[in-house]
Amino acid sequence: MNLTFKNPFGIRFKLVFLSSFLLVIPWLGYQYIIEMEEYLRRGQEQIVLGTAQALATALNERPELFDEGSYSPARRTEDLYVYPVYSPLSLDDGSLLDWREYQQYEVDYGHDDYLRTDLNPYRPYEKEGSLSFKNMVGEYNGSLYAYFKVIDDNIVYRSRDALSVHRSDFLQISMLSREGNSVSRYVIAPHEPEFLYPFKVGDDYSEPIHEERISGQWYETADGYDIELQIPMEMLGGRLGFAIFDVDDPQTRDISTVVATYKAADAERLGSLKLPTPEIDRIVAGMGHNNSRIQIVDRGGRVLLTVGDIQSATGLNVSSRIEDAQTNKYWLYIQNKILNPIYYQILTKPSNDFIDDLYSDVTRAGAHIDSALKGTAFTQFRTLAGGETRLLEAAHPILANGEVIGAVVVDQNMNGLRTFRNQALETLFNTILGVMLLVTLGLFFSASRISSRIRSLRNQAERIIDDTGRVQNTIVASRSSDEIGDLSRSFSNIVERLTQHTSYLENMSSRLSHELRTPVTVVRSSLENLGLTVKDKESAVYLERAEEGIKRLNIILTNMSEATRLEQMLQTEDKEKIDLNAVIHGSVEGYKLAYPDQQFDLDMESGPIFANGVPEYIAQMLDKLIANAVEFSYPDQPITIYCHTLRDHVVIKVSNAGPSLPAEMGDRVFDAMISVRPQEKQKQPHLGIGLHIARLITEFHGGQIRAENRKDREGVTVSVVIPLFYR
Amino acid sequence: MSRRIAIVEDEAAIRENYADVLRKQGYEVQTYANRKDAMSAFDLRLPNLAIIDIGLENEIDGGFTLCQALRSLSDTLPIIFLTARDNDFDTVSGLRMGADDYLTKDISLPHLTARIAALFRRLDVIDQPPSPESLLQRDQLVLDVGRLTVQWDGHPIPLTVTEFWMVHALVKYPGHVKSRQVLMQESKIFVDGSTITSHIKRIRKKFTHVDEAFDCIETVYGMGYRWNIVPASSH
Repeated sequence: MNLTFKNPFGIRFKLVFLSSFLLVIPWLGYQYIIEMEEYLRRGQEQIVLGTAQALATALNERPELFDEGSYSPARRTEDLYVYPVYSPLSLDDGSLLDWREYQQYEVDYGHDDYLRTDLNPYRPYEKEGSLSFKNMVGEYNGSLYAYFKVIDDNIVYRSRDALSVHRSDFLQISMLSREGNSVSRYVIAPHEPEFLYPFKVGDDYSEPIHEERISGQWYETADGYDIELQIPMEMLGGRLGFAIFDVDDPQTRDISTVVATYKAADAERLGSLKLPTPEIDRIVAGMGHNNSRIQIVDRGGRVLLTVGDIQSATGLNVSSRIEDAQTNKYWLYIQNKILNPIYYQILTKPSNDFIDDLYSDVTRAGAHIDSALKGTAFTQFRTLAGGETRLLEAAHPILANGEVIGAVVVDQNMNGLRTFRNQALETLFNTILGVMLLVTLGLFFSASRISSRIRSLRNQAERIIDDTGRVQNTIVASRSSDEIGDLSRSFSNIVERLTQHTSYLENMSSRLSHELRTPVTVVRSSLENLGLTVKDKESAVYLERAEEGIKRLNIILTNMSEATRLEQMLQTEDKEKIDLNAVIHGSVEGYKLAYPDQQFDLDMESGPIFANGVPEYIAQMLDKLIANAVEFSYPDQPITIYCHTLRDHVVIKVSNAGPSLPAEMGDRVFDAMISVRPQEKQKQPHLGIGLHIARLITEFHGGQIRAENRKDREGVTVSVVIPLFYR
Repeated sequence: MSRRIAIVEDEAAIRENYADVLRKQGYEVQTYANRKDAMSAFDLRLPNLAIIDIGLENEIDGGFTLCQALRSLSDTLPIIFLTARDNDFDTVSGLRMGADDYLTKDISLPHLTARIAALFRRLDVIDQPPSPESLLQRDQLVLDVGRLTVQWDGHPIPLTVTEFWMVHALVKYPGHVKSRQVLMQESKIFVDGSTITSHIKRIRKKFTHVDEAFDCIETVYGMGYRWNIVPASSH
């Protein structure tokens, strides 16, 4: 018994295992794209910084751009920022709705801005928190627009019959006139919520003169009142200030609180008007279409100008994938329903629906701006609160005379890059998935093919030789030109030569007998001729001996070719339905006559046993088995003939008591020219043909024959198993 | 006038031995070593009997060709194959070519001469009316021992000399089992058991060719064969 452990890892498994190293490829691809993204990110950083630098360069050494009008280099809280308004504002709509877009720029004035004036000389305020307002100043089409959201707990209007304009709640507008250094004062003190009817007043609020160029409306709100007004730009000099005067007691009508945008109502202390600078506008607008948000901040971090919005500032403009009719809809389905959900387990999908929390402020802050305002260009990445969007922010200082006068801030979101990366990864994954599927399937199939071919070759090889070592089948030579085909061909070649050799050996006796027959005939016919002529007694003795020898030689020759002749006959024989019971019974009766000294025991099933065969050959087989048994039987020991059906087979056993089979012989006793007879038994010529013939006949009947030592006593049993007749 | 026997045999020693024996028997014997010589001689004059080997010099089936040629020249000329080839296939082929007997070279010379004598005897009596004493009748079977012919139910059965002698041995004592050994002796051949089996099979086939219901030759397993008497109904 050959104990080789079967290797559980077949060729197929090995190939599939090796092909699993292909999984490294998507990982490499992923790494490559991540690297690429990093590279692109740096590129984007440089571009953004470059944009900032270009803008800053364009604005360098032009302090007048920042200073136009009365932009003073230092920020002062009394300065009024005039924001450009791009749509007409309605003054008579009774609401601030049309200001909506600009309300973010409104400035609070309250506790810090209480002002002591001639009208409230003793204390700046009567009651803490009773008055505050929000102000916003814009410019549209040559006019200055402003609104005031005043919070006042008690509105006191000017009485109908009063001449004075300063003994009620009123708005005072102080401005430096265009032509001179004098400060003009205008008062808006309505009788009730109404269209404005402003007066130009003197220093002590005397001689009110109607000023019709200023128009607007006053209306009440839940917690106070709102004022909207319009002043033509040509009225204005460089400085302007607003003050709300509040009267709380309608009886005394004394001014209790004043909140103003300025600290003192003289020409120097009024706030500057910070007008938008068209020059900067033009310069920045020229760079505006580069997919970024550009902001100019002044030294105070206050945003002077914004171009573009951060949501659409994707930096990298990625055309979204074309998903038109050309794309297979099944593929689309797979892509969207199966692949993408898997991919986006690891990838983050950026959304353009984000809010820059810092953007709403009028002022901008951040490390980059701080750094730029200190004179060093700086870029930074900022992740927004949602975590899915990153912003790239670059700031570059604007210099004038070696001093920083402001900074250019260029922002981009990283969504474009992220989208680009995701698309690249999707394509990469799809391609690799497809390729790996193909490669793996291909490998699997080719490995299966190879292993199945090898297995089939092995099976064929195992079938070539039967249990008794005889060549039974051949190998069909494969026609494929590879190594396995080569192996198959060489196997086939070997088997063919082996078959030839075996058949040469098997036919040896037959051919030998045929070849010997002619010389034997020569000798015999010569002897017979001699016998006819020789008459003397002495010679007759020798002749007789010679003829005896020739006779034995003849028997040998006949025996030698018997098996071959039988094989030839079996090839043309037709089987029929026969009753084995009758055949065996008849035969055993015959043996009793033929071997009168031998006792035969018959253990036989009653009733017919039908098999498909040729009765003469069955009888011939029995003859051989019995002859063999008789020859090896000890004297006075019975020979048992057993015949019973076992399921769909019939088992015939012939047992004798006698010497056991030599252990090494086994089933080889059924081979031609094999004899286990001891030398002293060789009175008759024996060629070991008998059992070989028995096997030929058994196999002709589709059965098997076996010889084994008896278990109950010393002796040998030969068993023949033949299938029963069936239809 | 003595009978002329032609021996066609490529082995000189065998040829001459046979020729010597037959000459001693009083036959006129011509010997040929190959088919060409034999044919040219036969074209001139036919022998009374031909003994032919199958393998002739370089023609492995030369004997068969010669037999066919001879049979086309004469329907009645007795032809005997005497060959070393003992397989069934050659036997059947030889007999189909029209040979009167197919013998292997194991046959002893006396057996051979007995056969030749029988064949000549058959030639002699063929023109004479059948003599009743040479007839053997068993039910439908009529054996003419002189002519070596068999009739079943009035139909002639073409048996070879060997087959005739086997049938004769069985029929002589109907119901008696004749072992293969006995049949061998009776038919003056020396072969093994399986050859007897195939002889019997051929005989049965020849009978059933005439009468489908023929089953008079019964196999007694382990012992031999016997001729069964048909139940007396036909009488």
